[in-house]
Amino acid sequence: MSAHRTRWLLEKELRELAASRSYWLLLLVVGALVGHQFMTATSIYAEASGAGGGPAALSQGLSPLEGIVVPTFGAYDIAATLLFPFVVIRLIANEKQTGVLALTLQSPLPFSATMMAKLVALLAAWLLAGLAGAVALLAWRGAGGHLYGPETVTVLLGHLLRGLLTIGVGAAAAALATSAASAAIVALTVILGTWALDYVAAARGGVIASVAAYTPSAALRVFEHGELRVATVLILATLGIGGIVAATVWLREGEPVSRRVRDVLIVLVTVVALCTVFARVRQSRDVSEDRRNSFPRGDEVALRSIDAPLHVTVYLAAEDPRLADLERGVLAKLRRTMREVDVTYAARGRSGLFERPDQHYGEIWYQLGDRREMTRSTTDEIVLETIYRLAGRAAPPADTAPPYPGYPLAAGMRAAPWIFFVAWPLCVILAWWVGRRRPVSRRRAA
Amino acid sequence: MSVSAPTPLPESREPDSRSSPTSSSVDVRVEGLSKRYGAFWALRDASFDIRSGEILGLIGPNGSGKTTLFRCVAGVAPATSGVVRHREAPIAGKHRKHFLYFVPDGIRPWPDQTVDWVLRFAAGLHGAPAKARDEIIASLGLSSLLAARLRELSKGEHRRVMLSIGLLTPQPLLMLDEPFDGLDLRQTRDVMSVLTTHARSGRTLFLSIHQLGDAARICDRLVLLSDGRVAGEGTLDELRGRARLGPTQSLEDVFLALT
Repeated sequence: MSAHRTRWLLEKELRELAASRSYWLLLLVVGALVGHQFMTATSIYAEASGAGGGPAALSQGLSPLEGIVVPTFGAYDIAATLLFPFVVIRLIANEKQTGVLALTLQSPLPFSATMMAKLVALLAAWLLAGLAGAVALLAWRGAGGHLYGPETVTVLLGHLLRGLLTIGVGAAAAALATSAASAAIVALTVILGTWALDYVAAARGGVIASVAAYTPSAALRVFEHGELRVATVLILATLGIGGIVAATVWLREGEPVSRRVRDVLIVLVTVVALCTVFARVRQSRDVSEDRRNSFPRGDEVALRSIDAPLHVTVYLAAEDPRLADLERGVLAKLRRTMREVDVTYAARGRSGLFERPDQHYGEIWYQLGDRREMTRSTTDEIVLETIYRLAGRAAPPADTAPPYPGYPLAAGMRAAPWIFFVAWPLCVILAWWVGRRRPVSRRRAA
Repeated sequence: MSVSAPTPLPESREPDSRSSPTSSSVDVRVEGLSKRYGAFWALRDASFDIRSGEILGLIGPNGSGKTTLFRCVAGVAPATSGVVRHREAPIAGKHRKHFLYFVPDGIRPWPDQTVDWVLRFAAGLHGAPAKARDEIIASLGLSSLLAARLRELSKGEHRRVMLSIGLLTPQPLLMLDEPFDGLDLRQTRDVMSVLTTHARSGRTLFLSIHQLGDAARICDRLVLLSDGRVAGEGTLDELRGRARLGPTQSLEDVFLALT
């Protein structure tokens, strides 16, 4: 009986979504955005591959992940930021605005079941919107393009989690705000806040940078780099589900406000605690075909055999581009590979024009046991040599695995405009029209 | 609206028209219910009983606190103080849905869904059989509206759909906030007939009504609410006695005398 009732709840939420103009608008816009992104990406990729008689880039540099998949699905980042929140807000805020919440609270199923049905319906809606991206990938494959499954699926997972995060933020905003308009303002404020956090973190580093690693944009970049980082997955899922739980708690209008405030605070504290714990989880998998997030296999084996913790002291300001290179090219890989890596960001000042630079500025110190060595290099080869010297080991022999071949493709996508600017909108409009049709003859037939 | 088998109603519903509801056991007891919004008390120490199988009317002018009282009793809004007991046991707000169902006034749920789907949804969610749904559709004259979307309905039509949802629920106590609001005279009589038939099947009805004439015609007992306070409770005769009015005096006279 409970499953039967749950099916009704889910059908209700799906029907409410189908009745939402904002969702149909999202589908229309997503098709156009994906189409534009896909055509631009394939055009640039074709040029880099030597289309039109131009000089071809080195084939090793032509990766479909960053050349096609990431820019094409970048459309969903825009949709998740500027369109999807309104779909979420409508579905939740309507409960309050139409007064149906009083009926929902009396449903034979727990109120959490209603919210879970909303979550499932919204995730299904987000996945359905992903169809445009899937069509683009099929078109790419159809033109002879290469796709590497694990890295492609990881990007899709990143966007799914991005959607879940949007659902959480939108649901919490819709529940807490008094109207849908206010909820939209709250949701946009949160999004703008994460942008501001990204901006500040780029200049300041420290704790802010640690927090900013999980803003929607930053978290998505992890997946787009072909890295499946457990901490990022867990934190995005926790934030998304936490938003839904907070909304569920707040919408129980039969409970006194003081109790609901207390319960929302408990949810917030729990979410923060879980995120803090999850942030310490270091497990990650490099799923990129070109192993861009990993050292050569021989070096990985050698580094894993070093038991002593590695302490790194970096005298680089947060906004210094060398620090970004060091983070991405060395420190992230070391964290993934070695048992214990402890990094201290020791630059006190900022490298502004009128600031007196620290005498150590630019130095990067590596310490294993009681041996220390400094280098100013941010390239992985030199850093690895430094670490091997500190560990008293010889560098492993050069990797004999074949290098990443690259996948140049100078194919035109002539059908793409027809697919995304004609067929997709027509399908969306047709689906909307079919959904709007009355199930039986017109009312008041008599 | 066409009703399948209209039941004529007496001009004034007296206790003996059904199986002695006034002598039935107390099913729900509301004790000292109060609700405050800031400095304003919407309800003050409201206490009354709801007896098993009766049609209890909550009457009072607009703004007297009827809807607030309904929402607090139903547990969809928190009371500042007070207790609702079911068979003597105090029941927390979130658990009251197990023995009562409340249909609020003035809500416009699922505007884009058809009447047919909404009633199938309500029946499916609450486990009502298809036969019961069909009977309710027929009795409330909704057959011709099944294909209409809820946003296309008139106020009276919408009211009947909401009433149908309430009648499809299985809880022994059904609370309807202003069930006759928006209905014309004939529709009101027909809906009263449906509710009376429903009550005869053993369900307790608690109706919030601001039209005193309607209340006098359908209710077994009445709770008078004025400025958030219960000004009286009982059958019309009992209230007349309390107001020291003669047997021919109307509920309006009783209400004015007691409030």
